[in-house]
Amino acid sequence: MTQSPSRPTGRTVQLMATCLCDAFFDDVAKATVEVLEHAGCEVEFPENQTCCGQPAFNCGDWPASREVMRHTTRVFEGDKPVIVPSGSCAAMLFHGAPLEFEKEKDLPTVQKLASRTWELADFLVNGLGIEKWPGRFPARIAFHRACHTRGTGSGEAALKLLESIDGLEVIPFGEAEQCCGFGGTFSVSFPHVSSSMGCLKLEHMTAANPDFIVSGDMSCLMHLGGLADRGGQPVKTLHFVQILQSALHRHG
Amino acid sequence: MSTARDQIFSSVRAALAPLPERTARPVFSKDVAEPHWLATEADSLTLFQKRAEATGTKCFTDMESCAAWLRSQGVRTVYIPAPLTRLAALCSEFCEVTSNYTRARVNEIDAAFTPAAGAIAESGSIILSDESTPDRLAALAPWHHIALVSRAEIHRTIADALAAMPDDPNLIWVTGPSKTADVEGILIQGVHGPGAQACLIV
Amino acid sequence: MAEQKVELFARRLDRGVQQAVHSNSAAGTEKRYTVLGKDYSAPDDLRRLAGQIRQHAIEHLDTYLEQAEQSLKRQGAHVHYAVTAEDACRAVSDILQKAGAKKVVKSKSMISEEIHLNDHLGSVGIESVETDLGEYIIQIDGDHPSHIVKPIIHKNRRDIAKSFEREGLGDYNDDPETITRRARVFMRDKYLQADAGITGANFVSAETGRLVLVTNEGNSRFCLAAPKIHIALVGIEKVIPSDAELAVLLNLLGRSATGQQLTVYTEFINGPARTDRPSGPQEMHVIFVDNQRSQILASDCREILRCIRCGACLNVCPVYRQASGHAYRSVYPGPVGAVLSPLLAGKNFKQLADLPKASSLCGACNEVCPVDIPIPDLLLKLRNRGHEEHAPSPGTPPMGAFAKLASSPMLWRFAMKSNKVMNLVPLEKLPLPYLQPWLKTRTLPEWRGGEFRSWMKDRRKK
Repeated sequence: MTQSPSRPTGRTVQLMATCLCDAFFDDVAKATVEVLEHAGCEVEFPENQTCCGQPAFNCGDWPASREVMRHTTRVFEGDKPVIVPSGSCAAMLFHGAPLEFEKEKDLPTVQKLASRTWELADFLVNGLGIEKWPGRFPARIAFHRACHTRGTGSGEAALKLLESIDGLEVIPFGEAEQCCGFGGTFSVSFPHVSSSMGCLKLEHMTAANPDFIVSGDMSCLMHLGGLADRGGQPVKTLHFVQILQSALHRHG
Repeated sequence: MSTARDQIFSSVRAALAPLPERTARPVFSKDVAEPHWLATEADSLTLFQKRAEATGTKCFTDMESCAAWLRSQGVRTVYIPAPLTRLAALCSEFCEVTSNYTRARVNEIDAAFTPAAGAIAESGSIILSDESTPDRLAALAPWHHIALVSRAEIHRTIADALAAMPDDPNLIWVTGPSKTADVEGILIQGVHGPGAQACLIV
Repeated sequence: MAEQKVELFARRLDRGVQQAVHSNSAAGTEKRYTVLGKDYSAPDDLRRLAGQIRQHAIEHLDTYLEQAEQSLKRQGAHVHYAVTAEDACRAVSDILQKAGAKKVVKSKSMISEEIHLNDHLGSVGIESVETDLGEYIIQIDGDHPSHIVKPIIHKNRRDIAKSFEREGLGDYNDDPETITRRARVFMRDKYLQADAGITGANFVSAETGRLVLVTNEGNSRFCLAAPKIHIALVGIEKVIPSDAELAVLLNLLGRSATGQQLTVYTEFINGPARTDRPSGPQEMHVIFVDNQRSQILASDCREILRCIRCGACLNVCPVYRQASGHAYRSVYPGPVGAVLSPLLAGKNFKQLADLPKASSLCGACNEVCPVDIPIPDLLLKLRNRGHEEHAPSPGTPPMGAFAKLASSPMLWRFAMKSNKVMNLVPLEKLPLPYLQPWLKTRTLPEWRGGEFRSWMKDRRKK
């Protein structure tokens, strides 16, 4: 996956909160707003936003997915950077959408949105040039580089910020390149394979007893957290932006 | 067969015709796939020896120690091509030496010397050709195979060796002894070909 | 509810087999990663270059295939073409029968698996022995390979020892070294008695007509050392412009497949024996096989033809590690198989249209691919094709209602708020077929639909 080299970096940004944050994880969306504001951004939230259309895209129902994406392109009109606190939804906007519109007349509209899209950590580090995050967060964390950030600058960007926080230690774990098993509708159409993948991931990530399991995608964390919970051995999960937010609070 | 040929070519052409543009042939420098450590390595002979040993090929620089090794391995019959009289004399002290490789004796001859067409320092490979190896079986069937590598014919890199491939019906790069990991991923040497691969640098 | 076939296979898979496949695959991934990291500062640049080389080659297949044919003929080889798998099998048996050949030794080749060559040769009374240790065990067991480079990754030494005992290769002995020695002795006679050797080819250089073969065991070399006829079965997509491209491709193939810089034997075949070089086979036949490849070239999934069959995508794939190769019901398992197999099925696409769904789309396959094939994109395109052709896909939720909801902001906001009712009911008891598979092994977090939106509104008022 490659992204346009000349994405906008203005400080007035549009937030795509993602459907998971809309439905379950308002804390993460709030943290995103606070962190962006700390970085000097003015955050706009286009109210008519819904979902990036990825569920239908992954199911192969591209006409349905395109219907949602067309709505999304209308919601996020303009030239401002579009910030997404999810590697997966961001990848849908900048990679998936152009793929499903390859043979469509309105491909340029979709490409335009793609060229304005930033995953959150990528924007903070590579867009705004932030190298170090202030504050303190005394904890040992295991960081799962969400799969849909492969080939992008997001994983390294998030790690860079996390590692710069006072008191925070990122601990390594085995088979780190492996997926958490979520995969959207894959998790319900291949429940055994998906759960087995997730349990293996949890086994590796919890081996060194981290205080938190951290990622840049709530979908991975919802899967891992839900598995651990059902398995009777709950784990504490955090989106990296929640750590950035928390560190700021401890900063005073 | 011409119908099948025509059919395939017309399907291929039909498949490619609608492409708005075709990917250009990439231009790359010859050293593009060289490992980065290669630049700081010593002369090609030293590098070849190091890489050959690392991939399981024993390197000898004198006939005596090579013969001593074969003796310690309990070799009983060794094939040595006719011109190598000094080597033959050394080996005849402890085993039968034959200068005639025949299929009837494939399972008896347990060591063979054959001249190599060259070597590759980067990978520690020995290059055999049909010109240098009069019988392909001689370099393959015995448990011990010792290639005679001339120091002047050591290519530094894989790309160098590719660029200098001679016109020969068969060239083979041998990088270590024959091996398999098919059974439970456990490495076993000497599946079909030599279990002990060596070279004598001359 | 009906189950996905790969899911069903994985669920029923013997735990021991699953663990063997997992640990062997993980070791392969680790080795590849280590060797590439040790040797290259920018391995991804090299993968992209190799991808361009292969993409260029397949997009100029008309030119290069013709050039390869001319070069091979110039070297004294006979060149044949086969449109279908059946044609390819017949081409092989025709050559053998014409020469009166009764016994054949075979070196491992995926395309011969693809066309089911051994079954065909058996049916016309020709003995064909697989000489790669793993493939030989597959053959005597009447089994199928479950990995592209490690065909018996699903078997343990005890299984193999039993098979050897049954075949009369000595008393039961499960020591891997003993197994290998017994195969060595057994194969010797087969090589020496064989009338012909059959191989595949990893690459064909159009400029020189050189066939390139890589192995570790040395069996392909034996197939070309003892018999008098050599038949090479080659997919038409295997051609590359010239020998120079091998510097990139060979360097990536060994490292990606087995973590080796080069495999033990890298063989360049440049025609049959000559009067001054009498050692090799006197006849050389190259059969170029299409078997749907030209149709794949015409499709929007043509990138899969770049594949050099290293198996790195299998090793790294979390689904392959859970399900094993046989779950894919085809010759090519894992991510590459999930793309290639339904395409090779041609008119029977729908029968294998479930394979592209057997992926979490994590993209690890693309990340390790030595020729940078965008496998997740191809899986997605095939999912779309399956949807268009109404291929059955158990467990895949219908997306029409979702699309309506997600395109209507009013409805969406209403759903976000009203779904809070979910927090009040026991979800496990709800008759929702797409929710229950989730809940069986995971919990759902509390529904907080609309909370963020109200917070954001309040914040603006301040």
